[in-house]
Amino acid sequence: MRRAVTPLLAVTVAMVLADSAVVTLALPDILRNLDASVGQVAWVLIAYNLVLGMAAVPAAAAFSRVQPRVFSAVGVAVFAGASAWCALADSIEVLIVARCVQAVGGALALIGCLEQLVEVRGERRGIATWVTAGVVGTAAGPVAGGLLTQAISWQAIFVVQVPFALLAVPAALSVASAPPRASDRHRPAVRANVTLALMSAALTAALFLLVLLLVEGWGRSPATAAVTVSVVPLAALGARPLVRLLRPPPDVEVAVGCFLVAGGLVGLAVPPSAHLVWTIAPQALVGLGLGLTVDRLTSQAMEMRLPRARHAGWTISARHVGVVLGLAVLTPVFTADLRDAEQPAQEAITSLVLDSPLQPEDKIAVAQALGDALSDQQGQVPDLHSAFATLDVAPQDRPATDRLERDLDAQLERAATWAFRDSFLIGAGIALLALLSSIRLRRRTA
Amino acid sequence: MTAPPRWIALPLAAVLLVCGVIGVQLANGGGTYEPLRPADPCAERTATSRADGIDGLTERLVLLGVNDAACRLGVTREALTLELAQSGARTDAEIDALRAGLLSAVRQMKKDGSLPPASDLVDEALDSANLNGLLERAIRLVPDSVINRALRTDDVLERAIEDLDLRALLANLDDQDDLERQVEAAVTEAVKESLLARLRNLL
Repeated sequence: MRRAVTPLLAVTVAMVLADSAVVTLALPDILRNLDASVGQVAWVLIAYNLVLGMAAVPAAAAFSRVQPRVFSAVGVAVFAGASAWCALADSIEVLIVARCVQAVGGALALIGCLEQLVEVRGERRGIATWVTAGVVGTAAGPVAGGLLTQAISWQAIFVVQVPFALLAVPAALSVASAPPRASDRHRPAVRANVTLALMSAALTAALFLLVLLLVEGWGRSPATAAVTVSVVPLAALGARPLVRLLRPPPDVEVAVGCFLVAGGLVGLAVPPSAHLVWTIAPQALVGLGLGLTVDRLTSQAMEMRLPRARHAGWTISARHVGVVLGLAVLTPVFTADLRDAEQPAQEAITSLVLDSPLQPEDKIAVAQALGDALSDQQGQVPDLHSAFATLDVAPQDRPATDRLERDLDAQLERAATWAFRDSFLIGAGIALLALLSSIRLRRRTA
Repeated sequence: MTAPPRWIALPLAAVLLVCGVIGVQLANGGGTYEPLRPADPCAERTATSRADGIDGLTERLVLLGVNDAACRLGVTREALTLELAQSGARTDAEIDALRAGLLSAVRQMKKDGSLPPASDLVDEALDSANLNGLLERAIRLVPDSVINRALRTDDVLERAIEDLDLRALLANLDDQDDLERQVEAAVTEAVKESLLARLRNLL
């Protein structure tokens, strides 16, 4: 059991932080299956991050009054139970409430697992394991969620967490330790946490917006989107060897990471086409930036600061308040931009239909089918395939209609990409703000 | 002179990577990847059709006419088309602009020589016209050269457009069959009546 404690606790930390974004690719499925509105579905994501961000500091305050192993075990058990409840939810309201309970359990589990890992592996390695598990979880969340949704269903995202979390309960109980002393208090690392919050907001822009663009804007499947965004965690893994090779000062590491994330987001804002290959290099920049910043900032916020749980609570809070901030700033921007993109998209479609090499009666039939499809799918990027699938045209005209369908889809991809541009650029601006705050941090500590 | 620290390579590499990625994206059209922008409706435009006879002629006239009408109304051709596709009452300005646009389209097609000779339209017009059999046969016997000398297609079309009830036509855009019937009937009737009027005089 002793040997399995570290991996089980690390997996629990990764799962709790992965849950921050794990449902991103499952949102369209949840919207359909639970008959929810777009606004309600967004709360599946927001509620978890908001509650986790708000519960982390009080949970850390409560930690000193309870046995660490009991605290951790209760947190993991609540997280496991709420995950099962999420999978069984039959309405959007129940799912949102279950996500809130899951976040409370997650906050307790994160604080508890940190102390347990330090107990098992020592101060430096314990914190490093906790931080690394969090980075991997944050980056891998959307990938895992997308693959599970495509392969099984959105409920599978929550079901697979249950056995891991249940195994982590006895693992947490097996680590005996005394409650931490309340003395040796240090002030919270405000600047490191502010930079962390800003970076979380920027990374939300990268991961959340990119998966939305891939699935809703470019019409790719959740599995394709999941495989595509796996570039981010893979690139994040490349950051550590780079740091070991070049040994930059921590503040330089953070500043470079912020700059890379900003550059990656600008790259995502200006793809030359909807081909997935154009997202790879910008994602690699984002992933590298994530690897350089999040664990370094978390370490800066916690290093040599006691009580450890209290400072862990501040970093968890900063990260998830940052995610909520990112969603709060970006969601209205891209939804408004998507609405504004409707007119240019419709005009582009009209232009192509008017000039298409079709018989006049086929043009009118296409126009009417498209009109019906567009009015049926208002508020989202429409799928025009149904309009063409039901079209009755002469066999010799089929190649021309197929070409027209491809051209119209390309126009929709252009409109969706255009609509996401501002949001990616705002995300880049937030990353640059994080860069500025990290530079000020350096001056202060120099 | 001391060597710069090894870590300086990290920010330098980051700047190079970011500039390289964004530069490649922009060099391949990343800054202009947006929906097709509608062309200026006031710029001269040509129109083609895959259909023959009156259908093809009607399509080309409508394409050029809507473009010209959009220019008169100060909107794009696409915006006007989408507006006309909506149900609801048409304004006098829209109806006037459309009629003027169609007439302008006839003049443009005459100018570029793309109007078919009147004789090309006669057979099709007679096919759909419910005429006395004897009269129809008599008209079909008239040589094309005689018809073309007597009739000018642009005159016929201009008369047809002046007589068209555009408001009624635009009120029935939802039903494709009905729309086709209306357009075909309106144009055919106009062509037929113009031809018959002239041919009666000829005979």
